[in-house]
Amino acid sequence: MFGYLFKKIRYFSLKNKNECMLQNTKPGKNNSEPISPDLEKNLEVIKGILRDSSDVTTHEFNFGHDRKFKGALIFIDSLTDKAEIHKNILQPLMYDVLLLQNNVDMDFTKIDTIRKNLISTTDNLKVTLLSDLLDNLLAGAAILLINGSKEALVIKSEKRESRGIEEPGTESVVRGPREGFVENVKVNIALLRRKIKDTDLCIEKFVIGDKSKTDVYIVYIKSVANPKLIEEIRMRLKRIKIEAILESGYIEQFIEDNPYSIFPTISNSEKPDKVAAKILEGRAAILVDGTPFVLVAPMVFIESFQSVEDYYARPFFASVIRIIRFLSYIISTLGPAIYVALTVFHQELIPTQLLISIAEGRERVPFPAIMEAFLMLFAFDLLREAGVRLPKSVGQTVGIVGAIVLGQASVEAGLISPIMVIVVSSTAIASFAVPAQTDSGTILRYIYLALAGIAGGFGVIMGLLGTLLHLASLRSFGTPYLWPVVPLNFSGLKDVFIRMPLWAMSKRPKAIVWNDFDSNNQNPGLMPSPYKKDNIDSK
Amino acid sequence: MGKKMKLSNMKLISCFLMLFILSGCIGAREINDLEIVIGMGVDKDENPENILLTAQVVKATAGKASENESRGEDSKAFWNVSSRGNSVFDAVRQITHKTGNRLFISHNQAVIFGKDIAKEGLQEYIDFFLRAHEMRPTALILIAEDRASDVLNAKPETEKFPAVNIAKLIKTYGFTSNFYKVNMEDFASCLLNPTKAQLVPLVSIIQDGEYKDVYVSGMVVFKKGKMVSKLTHDDVRGLLWILGKVKSGVIIVPSPNEQGKAVLEIIKAKSKVTPEIKDGKIVMHIKIREESSLSEQTTSENLATNEAFEKIQEASAEVIRKEAMAAFNKSVELNADIFGFGEMLHKKYSKEWKTLKDNWDEIYPTIELNIDVETKIIKTDLLKKPASPSE
Repeated sequence: MFGYLFKKIRYFSLKNKNECMLQNTKPGKNNSEPISPDLEKNLEVIKGILRDSSDVTTHEFNFGHDRKFKGALIFIDSLTDKAEIHKNILQPLMYDVLLLQNNVDMDFTKIDTIRKNLISTTDNLKVTLLSDLLDNLLAGAAILLINGSKEALVIKSEKRESRGIEEPGTESVVRGPREGFVENVKVNIALLRRKIKDTDLCIEKFVIGDKSKTDVYIVYIKSVANPKLIEEIRMRLKRIKIEAILESGYIEQFIEDNPYSIFPTISNSEKPDKVAAKILEGRAAILVDGTPFVLVAPMVFIESFQSVEDYYARPFFASVIRIIRFLSYIISTLGPAIYVALTVFHQELIPTQLLISIAEGRERVPFPAIMEAFLMLFAFDLLREAGVRLPKSVGQTVGIVGAIVLGQASVEAGLISPIMVIVVSSTAIASFAVPAQTDSGTILRYIYLALAGIAGGFGVIMGLLGTLLHLASLRSFGTPYLWPVVPLNFSGLKDVFIRMPLWAMSKRPKAIVWNDFDSNNQNPGLMPSPYKKDNIDSK
Repeated sequence: MGKKMKLSNMKLISCFLMLFILSGCIGAREINDLEIVIGMGVDKDENPENILLTAQVVKATAGKASENESRGEDSKAFWNVSSRGNSVFDAVRQITHKTGNRLFISHNQAVIFGKDIAKEGLQEYIDFFLRAHEMRPTALILIAEDRASDVLNAKPETEKFPAVNIAKLIKTYGFTSNFYKVNMEDFASCLLNPTKAQLVPLVSIIQDGEYKDVYVSGMVVFKKGKMVSKLTHDDVRGLLWILGKVKSGVIIVPSPNEQGKAVLEIIKAKSKVTPEIKDGKIVMHIKIREESSLSEQTTSENLATNEAFEKIQEASAEVIRKEAMAAFNKSVELNADIFGFGEMLHKKYSKEWKTLKDNWDEIYPTIELNIDVETKIIKTDLLKKPASPSE
């Protein structure tokens, strides 16, 4: 039955994909004509295409000794740094000594001549096709057209408003760098480059989106990352055919391994230090222009429980916190389910005194426990969603109203038992301890609760088994999702339930790097120890 | 191929769903619909055919009721509901006429049998408690000096529930070792043993002014499931000495100068029983090792000397030997193998046991005990010598 449904879904998705592909292969309106040597004609064509864009500025001018050359500069007002254009393009062209002299033997109808001798910006390139010219123009470059030349010069003089580098809102730390990625991808690359000053750091550029033409970069370390992984990412990125990429989430949904899974198989982060650490482990980062969220692949499940701060703090506390995170994930997914299973099906498992307290609390409650749990969880999720979307000043009000209505009034009115409030609120708190799995945790919580309501502890166990099977079947870009627990890898286990000292973790994650020859990245024996004469002598 | 796949998927899914339906775990019952039983008492009814079952049920409103309204006569946190029936299970079901809900006996702490029932024989009444799936094998079994319902009615001062209070009394037996804890499982395993006699704690009520206090007054000896006699506190400790199950307790011996007493607290005790059949006679060699501390003395003489210690140790060994012998003599008098000597013989002399077991009743009184006690005082707690001017 499900197989049939899945087949149908797959069929329709494939059909859609094929239709998309057909549409994409249709000749676009931006024809790939070459640029004509006739300036007038070129301008006419460009103006024709961009006739409804009022912010396109065209500046025609004459230059040369007796102003015998004709040229035109086209740019989009809102995207371009005008001061730079004036200073570095127009001024040299019109007032350069070379041009004012009479006896200079140079052909200024050639773009190369102008580019090499006159223009004082560094970032420029030649284009010969009209479509390339338009792409660059829309990306914020200034275009220099010279009468008599079949080529145009693209001068990148983009002006971009960028937010300052701030502490990321989603991942704040107590100890660690407070910088976060911003919307401008150039800044983000710079942030990564400052962390990894290595010649092997590769930054591959892709442009994705028929209309948005968004810059997408893959960043990885050539000598560390598995070439097959990079090839796979390239392939998957190239396969994306979409009109616009507005956020890295678009990319994520097009390249992830298991689109039907509730578990994310590509991680994201706003923190350069975190992304750099993952790149150093052999992963690849995918940076998308316009969003501070950087994707990192492959992802393993355990990563959700690791925080950058685990590595900055000393290992003991880090390990304690890590275990607390695991516990909190278990509480956040299973809390209400276990409560319902115990109080409705397995009262004999509750200690007598606790059972009596629960019975006293539930005495006036008119609903069955499962209804009670669903009501409270729904109310909590409602409150959380309302709180997230509201302006900050109103958000507080929601919190207070929620606390009074849910916490107190509902108990006093006898609608909810006080222990249910404790269960749901501790579940809620626990769900925030593992941010990467909050989404999956919320869904699992409802599934487990429903199973507990239907079949008690037996249902919860069935649900857990199903989840475990599913998790074990997941892969992220070839890496088993439950690695290093399944398949078991002892050196990988050093960073799972407890965090071993940094000097004890000398190997890169094997499942991600995959090639043994490169798995050593640090000298073993780095453990701090008092001064020993032998050590010095042997050197 | 495709059709086949679909079929197997259907099969898989239906198998999965059947797991839920056929598991037998489906038995949702809200807490509100339960009568949580924490103690049960079984007595004989006036009509000798019937029994009177008393169930102590938790009143869910108790917490609030005692705070707000009541202060009056009905401020009890529990409800003792009773019913008559031909058998225990009959009575358990009859109770629903009064409660409206069925009894939930998983949290039953103790089952108390009236003395009249104990004399008649527990086997026929205990069957339900061993058979019922909700009942825990760890629930305590007790005998009431008079009627079980009275014991369940005596409201304790600090505990909310009489049954919980009684269970607590029994579980703290280690402080005196004057009785010990017996639960359903222990008792059942003993019923299966043809030679061993089982002991069950006895609870009585003493009227203390207007209050009724429940206390554990000793233990009851069962032979073949029927109550035969009572054991006093000292007898039970003698039994525990031999079995090596004394946890703690107090030994009082006269001080060496015979002017006062030395009071010892038992810290550790163990024993080893080695049966021996010699020329057709059965001798049990019992080695008891005990360590204690000097916890109190009522003489001003300094007892913390080697000489005094040796005398006290000897005296305390004598006390232990006497207690053990008294227990044994009592068991001979009752002809009840409360120690489980039969089992020990069975283990060591399995061939001989085949002939012994058939006339165990005749053989048991002829058993000889060879008790060897070694005691040691290992500390004197916080004082080195008594707070009196030394001479």
